[in-house]
Amino acid sequence: MRLYVALAIVLAMAAGIAYAASEEMVHSITLPAVHTELKTGPGKEKTETLCASCHSVDYITMQPNFSKAVWTAEVNKMIKVMGAPIQEVDAMTIIDYLAAEYGTGK
Amino acid sequence: MVYKRFTRRDFLKTAGAITAMAATGSFPTNIFADGKRLAKFPEKTDMILLTSRPPQLETPLHYFKEMITPNDAVFVRWHLANIPTSVNVAQWRLKVGGNTEKQVELSMDDLKKLEKVSHTAVIQCSGNSRSFFDPRVPGGQWGNGAMGNVTWAGARLRDVLAMAGVKAGSVDVAFNGLDGPPLPSVPDFEKSLHIDQAMDDDIIIAYEMNGTYLPMLNGFPARLVVPGWYATYWVKSLSDITVRDKPFDGFWMKSAYRIPDNPCGCIPPGSAQKTSIPINRMTTRSLIVDPSEGSSIAANKPVEITGIAFSGGYGIRDVLISADGGNSWKEARLGPDKGRYSWKQFFFSWRPAKPGKYTLMSRATDNIGESQPLDSLWNPAGFMRNKIEKVEVVVK
Ligand code: HEC
Repeated sequence: MRLYVALAIVLAMAAGIAYAASEEMVHSITLPAVHTELKTGPGKEKTETLCASCHSVDYITMQPNFSKAVWTAEVNKMIKVMGAPIQEVDAMTIIDYLAAEYGTGK
Repeated sequence: MVYKRFTRRDFLKTAGAITAMAATGSFPTNIFADGKRLAKFPEKTDMILLTSRPPQLETPLHYFKEMITPNDAVFVRWHLANIPTSVNVAQWRLKVGGNTEKQVELSMDDLKKLEKVSHTAVIQCSGNSRSFFDPRVPGGQWGNGAMGNVTWAGARLRDVLAMAGVKAGSVDVAFNGLDGPPLPSVPDFEKSLHIDQAMDDDIIIAYEMNGTYLPMLNGFPARLVVPGWYATYWVKSLSDITVRDKPFDGFWMKSAYRIPDNPCGCIPPGSAQKTSIPINRMTTRSLIVDPSEGSSIAANKPVEITGIAFSGGYGIRDVLISADGGNSWKEARLGPDKGRYSWKQFFFSWRPAKPGKYTLMSRATDNIGESQPLDSLWNPAGFMRNKIEKVEVVVK
């Protein structure tokens, strides 16, 4: 819905159409596209697909290196608390990836 | 009030940027020496990028040299990716209901007809400085920049509640904003205050920041301001206020934003939290802003040590400075008083005689005697950091 309103405004402007009176009551922003690349390693693609449906992967890259136990708890939290639709086998792959690429080695 | 229009030029600028990024696959950011990225978001200056969806942006420290943090430099922290990016103020309504005499829908004009109240107040994220926790904990990895000092203006929450008429037997008031969960399974971001606190004179629904409208990313068109309390309660882009005759038990109160249930809100580092309560009033803290970490200073020349100090709503009584790693302390001069919720600037003239490494520290005490600990207080969520910070400088 929000998207459509923004789109309509954008189209109107692109076509050079001036706004109606309500224009000054509409306040809009456009978020920049920011790309964050995960480290290369087995499980990267799974992590990219399954961990980016609710938030950008910079949620992962901003974290310090954690132990495998902490990464396991984080992934479980995403599944059990936030309802991330991730199968157990995929969760294992992601945990291994995070522990290897963003881990403490413990 | 006329909001900044989204002009054709802005659109072209933005569109240009997006295309450029799509083409290169990278974001035009400046990289700090310590690996932090700077990003430019709408209505914001270059900010330290924590996350992009939802946006979490940190204020670069040098902004704290000023008494008031400009709107475009105030930190940004959303929880749920579905954030508002377009609001038609003519159609926006603040719905107030629940355990009330009637349900009301207030327009911006209705809100502005109520008495306008203003407070200069520190806004600080519960997890400000989380990245300094030892051991480290998961969460937004903020440095010290998830805070700011802003003059807020708007209507009293109490006056708004009175328009709906709070019924006897009410216990909590819950607040919801225009942001929403990215998937239905994610708990919506809704916060609550106890009814007694909600009646506090100083809590406002702010439609102005520093004399103008709120940037979208800081909660346009109006947000709750709970002076003295952590910003988790300052619900952005406010849309619904629900008075409750039963305690509110939403996720972000019951399971998140909890601190150990003891006077320090702390437990032994690395241990697990057993009993907890919702985070609430801010602890007292201070920060040396100038000279900055790692600066080199000329011997035998006066240098001014400056910074900021604030507390959870009781004003700052004094700030002590140590230039010798905490062995001796002297009182700093305090700047103007903008009320008990504002931060105060401090100034201390220092003239180091001998070359070498020096550890500068500041320690604030508020008007009810609350001060800062020498060692960090640890909790598993990384909240309420307020230890006496150290700034290492080199005198040459
Ligand atoms: C169903 C939605 C959803 C999915 C899918 C999801 N997350 Fe999250 N995640 C969240 C929410 C909501 C938060 C809290 C956001 C906030 O407070 O800013 C969060 C926060 C985080 C954090 C910050 C620390 C914390 O606990 O708040 C990390 C790290 C994280 N997620 C990692 C992951 C990883 C790894 C995956 C893939 C296994 C994942 N997320 C998938 C919803 C999700």
